Amino acid sequence: MSAAPTVAARRSRRDRLDRPMKVILPMWIIGTVIFVLFPIYLIFMVSFAPGSALFGERPSLFITEPTTMWWQRVLESGDLWAPLGKSLTVATLTTLLAIVIASPAAYVISRLSPGLRYTIVIGLLVTRMFPEFAIGISVATRFARFGLVDDYVGLILAHLIGSLPFIAWILVGTFETVPRELEEAAQIDGASRVGTLTRVVFPLAAPGIAVASLFVWLYSWNEFLYARLLTTNQNTLPLQVFTAIDRGSAQQMATVAAILTLPILLVVYFLQRYLRPGALSGAVKG
Amino acid sequence: MAVEEGVAGAASARPSPARRGWIARHRFELLLITPLVGYVLVLTIAPILDTVRLSFSDPDGAGFPSLQSYREVVGTDVFRTAVVNTIIVALLSLSMELSVGLAIALALHTKFRGRGLVRTVSLIPLGVPTIVSGAIMLLIFNRSGFLNSLLFSVADLINNIPGVDWEYRAIGWTVAGGVKSLFVVAFADMWKVLPVVTLIFLAGLQSIPEDVYEAADVDGATKWQRFVRITLPLLIPYFTMALILRAIDAFRIFELALVLAGGIEPVLGTYIFSRYAPPTNDPYTAAAASIVLFGIIMLFIVLYLRFVARRAEMVA
Repeated sequence: MSAAPTVAARRSRRDRLDRPMKVILPMWIIGTVIFVLFPIYLIFMVSFAPGSALFGERPSLFITEPTTMWWQRVLESGDLWAPLGKSLTVATLTTLLAIVIASPAAYVISRLSPGLRYTIVIGLLVTRMFPEFAIGISVATRFARFGLVDDYVGLILAHLIGSLPFIAWILVGTFETVPRELEEAAQIDGASRVGTLTRVVFPLAAPGIAVASLFVWLYSWNEFLYARLLTTNQNTLPLQVFTAIDRGSAQQMATVAAILTLPILLVVYFLQRYLRPGALSGAVKG
Repeated sequence: MAVEEGVAGAASARPSPARRGWIARHRFELLLITPLVGYVLVLTIAPILDTVRLSFSDPDGAGFPSLQSYREVVGTDVFRTAVVNTIIVALLSLSMELSVGLAIALALHTKFRGRGLVRTVSLIPLGVPTIVSGAIMLLIFNRSGFLNSLLFSVADLINNIPGVDWEYRAIGWTVAGGVKSLFVVAFADMWKVLPVVTLIFLAGLQSIPEDVYEAADVDGATKWQRFVRITLPLLIPYFTMALILRAIDAFRIFELALVLAGGIEPVLGTYIFSRYAPPTNDPYTAAAASIVLFGIIMLFIVLYLRFVARRAEMVA
């Protein structure tokens, strides 16, 4: 039995794949970065492009004479500040309410037996399998009757529908990491149930709650479908982008889109360390 | 869990002792969980049931279980086109997202200088609003868009070769209709959700223990064999998760289809919206179509789990 030569032969076969990979891999990585960044570059580039740059069948990839004309025009027009204010208000209030409603419940769910816990969490996620329209059609017709169309309250209620199952799912995972022994210790020391929660459990879960609430804020800030169903004339910022797509110039569209995107790029930048792949593995194994 | 006794007297009715005991003991927990449960019941479950009821109601008010709206919907060409288009877009975007996402995850899993930065950069589309990615794709795929500009340059390059004469004509990709428009929608969806798919696959790759590969090395496995025999089979659960998560969203696609193929190629999302919104103002057929959409999503997931996932696990 001569094992040595075959191993050597196999080694050389492996090398054959090694060499092309040394070229392909860096190119693929650079290609990925370009693929991801180019569209972002485009939206900001176009928002500074003079009108003449985009005419014809061959628009240029670079602008030689940038202009702030479109930004000035959009910032000075009456169509920006009201939608911006509505989007900010709705996203912030949705986030606050989502935390208030979901975190106590998530705490209780996290303390249930594993079987019951998974049933509830999966049940919450199943509601996400329904088309938003299946919920939205009924909600929109009812809300219209209660005068909740073009109303902050109506949109906040609708955005809670989309975000509560999600935030509850994340927070159940967060509260699972808070050891029960700490609660018991606090109660032995004479803390009430409420005191244990507010002084021990919630402070320990604060980082998780912060991340979850950022996700909810992002969801509400970007949300289009419910906003479209529940709006006739008080646009949110995403609806304003759609209006610009519908009847604005390319630059105007790009400028409004850039304004909608800017805060989000900052948020994702600060969030990215929480978006480690490991954060998801628990969910997959579950 | 702390036991709170001595509140039994507060209950005025006469439930059975065991039941009263349970409620009394868990009053605190019930209090905490009620807002969420109440919200989901009133503003998620009830609306879904209401939409189901609406879809089976006769618009003229005659008789409750009525298939009138379903018959009306299925009878139109627009609806049938929308169903076919939805399936095409979903399959296109799923296959592109999963293959490209896997390829990016594999690259980001290798060790190289600046990996942290590249990983951060590759997450950026996650934060870009869907409607904005639609706007960007319009800039790229328009008649006077950047894809045409690129293709003109390619044509110029090729035409430098003697004997080649290729005249490229600008195409308005988004208004071309047919598979071209659907491809643009699927492409936009892919760009937007690649980070999610990549993260799921990265999690999968990191879950594979190093010693499995070491054992394969001892046995003299080639890189290709390692990939096909170890990496791919062990990624199957993550593949299933990514596929189901993405399939739910891909079939429900709305904003991107509205912006990029709005007037030309309907998908179920835009069809439902056009039924509901003015000037049609018909919640009955809109409800029926959204129940059909839910049925398609469920059917896809059940078929996948029943046939593909099980067979893949058997092969592995």
